[in-house]
Amino acid sequence: MRKKQHLDVRYFIVSQGFVIAMVLFFIVFSIIARNFMTLKNMVRILHTIAPLLILAPGLALVIMEGKIDISVGSIAFLSSGLGVMLMVHHNIPSYVALPLIVVVGFILGALNGLLVVVLKINPLIATMGMMFALRGVALQLTNSMVLSIPKELQRIGYANIGTIYIDVIIAVIILLLAHFFHVRTPFGRHIMAIGNGANIAEQLGVKVPKVTFLAFALSGFFASLGGIFVLFQVGAVTPTMGQGYEFNAIALCLIGGISLMGGEGSIIPGLLLGGVTLGVIENGLNMVGASPYAYAFVKGGVIFIAMYADSIKKVLRKTRITIAEEPFASAAGQDHKKLSVRSNK
Amino acid sequence: MIEPFLRTIGISKSFPGVQALKNVSIEAFPGEVLCIVGINGAGKTTLMNILGGIVKSDEGEIYIEGIPVEISNPLDAEKYGIAFVHQEMGLFPTMSIVDNMCISSFPNKLGIIDYKLAEERCESVLKRLGCDFHPRTKIHDLSPGDQQIVEIARALLGERRLIIFDEPTSSLSSREKTCLFEVLTLLKKEGISIIFITHLLHEIFEVGDRLIAFRNGEVVGGEMIKNITYKDVIALMIGTEETRSFFGCRTPKVVGDLILEVENLSRRGVLYNINFTLHKGEVLGLWGLLGSGRTELERALVGLDPIDKGTIKINHNGILKTIRHRDAKKWFGIITENRRKDGLLLPMSVKTNISLADLRKLISRVWPLIDTKLETELSKKLVNRLDIKITSIEQQVATLSGGNQQKVILARWLLSNPPIYIMDEPTRGLSVEAKSEVDRIIGELAESGAAILVISSDIDELINLSSRYLVMRRGRIVAEFQAEASKSDLMAAAAGGNHE
Repeated sequence: MRKKQHLDVRYFIVSQGFVIAMVLFFIVFSIIARNFMTLKNMVRILHTIAPLLILAPGLALVIMEGKIDISVGSIAFLSSGLGVMLMVHHNIPSYVALPLIVVVGFILGALNGLLVVVLKINPLIATMGMMFALRGVALQLTNSMVLSIPKELQRIGYANIGTIYIDVIIAVIILLLAHFFHVRTPFGRHIMAIGNGANIAEQLGVKVPKVTFLAFALSGFFASLGGIFVLFQVGAVTPTMGQGYEFNAIALCLIGGISLMGGEGSIIPGLLLGGVTLGVIENGLNMVGASPYAYAFVKGGVIFIAMYADSIKKVLRKTRITIAEEPFASAAGQDHKKLSVRSNK
Repeated sequence: MIEPFLRTIGISKSFPGVQALKNVSIEAFPGEVLCIVGINGAGKTTLMNILGGIVKSDEGEIYIEGIPVEISNPLDAEKYGIAFVHQEMGLFPTMSIVDNMCISSFPNKLGIIDYKLAEERCESVLKRLGCDFHPRTKIHDLSPGDQQIVEIARALLGERRLIIFDEPTSSLSSREKTCLFEVLTLLKKEGISIIFITHLLHEIFEVGDRLIAFRNGEVVGGEMIKNITYKDVIALMIGTEETRSFFGCRTPKVVGDLILEVENLSRRGVLYNINFTLHKGEVLGLWGLLGSGRTELERALVGLDPIDKGTIKINHNGILKTIRHRDAKKWFGIITENRRKDGLLLPMSVKTNISLADLRKLISRVWPLIDTKLETELSKKLVNRLDIKITSIEQQVATLSGGNQQKVILARWLLSNPPIYIMDEPTRGLSVEAKSEVDRIIGELAESGAAILVISSDIDELINLSSRYLVMRRGRIVAEFQAEASKSDLMAAAAGGNHE
């Protein structure tokens, strides 16, 4: 019994380790940098990560399914590039062009889905191909130039209600919707089921190819949506737009507890926590005047620790269950008793 | 006479290399528990997979209430009210009980899952099974027994007409088992047909109404349970015809020195206090039904799985000494159950596959590199010795027949020449000729002084090969027999009855 309690404490520390680490980060940063723990700075942190948070939910669904999509950055670039060109060169109004961007994103995501489901290409390879190819197409289209978006749209990136930026509010709403979609629709549950075991899911009548296809399409959809908010903040399509987003977004998922093995994790609090952690580290290091290169290093360390905690958690969980109950042993024991009683008769 | 709920006529199914089912016709009546027995590989599970829509039959018809139907996927099966409790775990560990139970048919309003309704439904089924888990509990927080209950509960959810249980009791405690049997009685009263597959024969007498026995993919007998005895069941399962003898391996050989001694080997939840010895020149047959822990013992012994306690002693140059568990692999030649997955590097050549086990032996005297000439020479020698049929030793292993593949694995071990061989189902899926070839090689190996532990589901083969037997049940060694033991001795010990 004592041993079990001891294990429970360890289990708690490991499973809640991230929250504990976050609190520590906060304390350290606020002691060293006086301007860190201010409302203004907190809002700024959320503002910086908002586009990434909007981009990530689709990718999170793909990862929860046990697959991966590293083309999200390029999808964001190409779809935004197309949209901005329509607005700037062809005078298409923004209320038509912006929805078109997400439609393009959805279609590009669906293309990924086709590669994976119909052609049965490994998701990493398929989306890596798309990552290079789509970036190439986008660079060709934009001629590698910087294209500014109309003035009135640029304002949205920094518009605020009180102290809070609008894009932060939108990001939170989108995360809430995605979360609801993930936990309360059969589609969301099917994604988790496939992540746990595609064969079992298939046997229970889950339409695995359809769900997989849709997950990739949604990943493209959210990628382009995130791209739009990058546009609002930057004010232009640049040739490097979206570069490295895929890995930042994957990092955000991993830190938020979404396992690359699939079947595990959540959008809220998972993604939100991951995003805030990344934001806090970047901003905090900046505030304490660390070398600009330190961020990459610390980010790597945090991902490593998150993965390590995850694996410890799994081991602990196993031990906890075996110690709690051993049905196999007790059943065999009782069987023996029963049989011996019978033979005595 | 009442109309059967389900009737199959002339179902046949073959997998590459095996005829799994031959012309099988069965009937399942409403309100009846139909028990299906047969040793491993008799075809029971294949038939159930056909009824559950998981595999398709090659031939034959299925009638439900007299109407011919086609069951081509699990959803079809569900449509006809057929539910299936699988033998191996089919749960999603990171998800909640309610998600696991409702995954194929969530109650929803406009596409939004109605969790309140779903939880109510699950709770009522769980209550029937005498469990009070919260439906939101995650599967990975449950014990294996409780997980099994959830799987059973999933099958009971919804409109059911026929429920197939494929060895549902293998991880249940006796309290849970009693509960399940009570539920079965209840379901029977509701007029539901039940097909119950089990290896534990006393369960048949506890819950069954009628029995059908399978052997080698055929129905070999059906009987009302109240009219038969325990011995009849065993006779049906293993057949009464005399054992064919390929060769004289059974005659007890002069047994050589003690080579392996295992003491108190245990692995929590899997193996309990395993003790046995193995001598040179001996073929020790390990018999047990599915889930008895045979394969687990093999894996723990050779160091593929960790052990909690116990010692393994090996006779090395006349001295019996305890070896470290992590060094165990070095003493054993391992032939696994699944040669294509665990045994061979399929895309590589016969030569590479043979030399893999002991590359150090092939290091050239001049350079610290592999002497390819020696490698070729030795491989050729072994290929000839075992009579492996190939065009050249550069041929890809993937292109060989099953029997020749198995011989390649044997050749590999002959090269490194370990003192002890562990063979898990060495002839599974092989043709009759290939089987006897492999068996012959095993016999020769033993004659040449190797100690061999064989696991096989084919009881005839095991009896042909072995000069001594161990019988396992539920992770324990429950009996030991000498060469003269009969099939029914082994069967009775493995099934764990006490009805003699």
